[in-house]
Amino acid sequence: MKIAVCIKQTADTETVPGLDADGTRVLTDDITWIINPHDESALEVALRQVEEYGGSVTVLALGPQRVQKALREGLAMGADRAIHLRCERMPNDARVTARALKPILESEGFDLVLAGQVSVDNGGGQLPQRLGVLLGWPSVSAVEGLEVDGRKLTAQRPVEGGREQHELNLPAVIGINRRIGEPRYPSFRNIMKAKRKPVIAIEVTLEPSQLVCEQLRLPPQKTAGQIMTYGPGVADRVAHLIRSEAGIVW
Amino acid sequence: MIPRIVVLADTAAQVVRPVTREVCTAAQRIADAVDLPWGVIVPAASVTGLEDIPTVVRVDTLAEAVPDVRASALTEVCRECAYVMMAHTTGGGDLMARMAQHLDVPLAADCVGLTVEDQQVRFVRALYGGKVLSTVRITARPIMATFRPRSLPSLFVGENCAVTQTVSVELATPLSTVSQVAEAVRDRLDVTEADIVISGGRGMQGPEQWGVLEELAAAFGPRATLACSRPVSDNGWRPRNEHVGQTGRAISPDLYIACGISGAIQHVAGIARSRCIVAINKDPDAPIFKVADYGIVGDLFDVVPALTAAIRQLR
Repeated sequence: MKIAVCIKQTADTETVPGLDADGTRVLTDDITWIINPHDESALEVALRQVEEYGGSVTVLALGPQRVQKALREGLAMGADRAIHLRCERMPNDARVTARALKPILESEGFDLVLAGQVSVDNGGGQLPQRLGVLLGWPSVSAVEGLEVDGRKLTAQRPVEGGREQHELNLPAVIGINRRIGEPRYPSFRNIMKAKRKPVIAIEVTLEPSQLVCEQLRLPPQKTAGQIMTYGPGVADRVAHLIRSEAGIVW
Repeated sequence: MIPRIVVLADTAAQVVRPVTREVCTAAQRIADAVDLPWGVIVPAASVTGLEDIPTVVRVDTLAEAVPDVRASALTEVCRECAYVMMAHTTGGGDLMARMAQHLDVPLAADCVGLTVEDQQVRFVRALYGGKVLSTVRITARPIMATFRPRSLPSLFVGENCAVTQTVSVELATPLSTVSQVAEAVRDRLDVTEADIVISGGRGMQGPEQWGVLEELAAAFGPRATLACSRPVSDNGWRPRNEHVGQTGRAISPDLYIACGISGAIQHVAGIARSRCIVAINKDPDAPIFKVADYGIVGDLFDVVPALTAAIRQLR
């Protein structure tokens, strides 16, 4: 099976992002870049599949030169090859991303396209469904359990107040949630091997976005309130404050 | 006639989910500003819970449709609309992303607010798990947006004034089949929906200790539910869908009570939009106290039962 895993390079979740003076740009100089955690789990799913049943795993990433680091990390985890769709900026609109990815996903003849359910920076959670529509393939996202039986996939996902099971046939697009399982750490041997694996760079021109970001701002900082040391009467006092001061009713 | 501004209803077991009314608030605000009619589209013939909403359009053939079929059918229903909005639930986010691609337009997904000024509608999105807020505008039509549950107040219009119409659509051949594994386990509210969330961290020491949190949740009544921090779900102490934080779920309840949670930046990002935060931790230097409205420094196994008793007394 030929599997594609779409990965996004995101800021480490420890990051406290800063903004430039006019609030139009997140300052990226001090950011530690990682593979989006959900995408990393998607790659883990792909690697396990290929280890068990054979095939190949290609990691794809869209973005400026820096995303090659994420692709190298993907290769070090065990992907066979990497494709870098090089462009000047990271799109902020999943429509633009999906349309930029479509041609290569089509021409490469993948059986299965995996991606994280959502990116932890921009957080829209649209890419798997959009790719499904663009490719004309079945798709399901937020998947926490996936079984492959020949050309048939069985995917499970939680929905509010329940669980769904989806059955689809390949080719298909699956959006993976981190909850499916923690990814492996690359071994030293695989890190060395990754240096010899191919990273194919393809220049892409992004379509203009119709989702215009007008302003970025930091949310109002919460300030610490009343902190008390536990002792007689403290629980009663906090319960009363929750009701009378914070206005919470129950 | 399909109204130019539509809210797609989110339904569960033939009842409209309450989050739908939050999106109605957005629809009414936009309708007032741009002077267009608004209404709710219900993907079934016999769903209850919208009796006071002025315009309801039932699409009677969609009740059993799988997501891809539902998306292509609703795309045709909404093609001429100016605004299409829905709650950002698992099903809502999924449906709207598919529809946005069928219509080849952007989707402002998982918005936490909107502004309406001089007929110009802007959406507020939470980036980096809530550490940055972004104001966006959409230049394509229809304008599509999904709203994070509990980000907007619920709209109640009046009593039984609904004008209902029914439309039928042709359905495409499904690309997948969907079945419910655990049919609506509604013994407890989802973490994104609950008014009050009681959350446990590593300080709970193990899954067998969760009884104290269950009792605190029970003291608050049916509007309360349970959540946890990442180490708890990573250790398998609690189901992973209870994990709140940047890699889990973002929530904004009226009241969030963090028990034995130190307050890592990823966790705080996911709960910072809560109206009131109470922290219980034995470490006075725990970062969670920096964002808490009320903090109690002490052993949670003493504090939580005492708080439970105090909350019960005030019922």
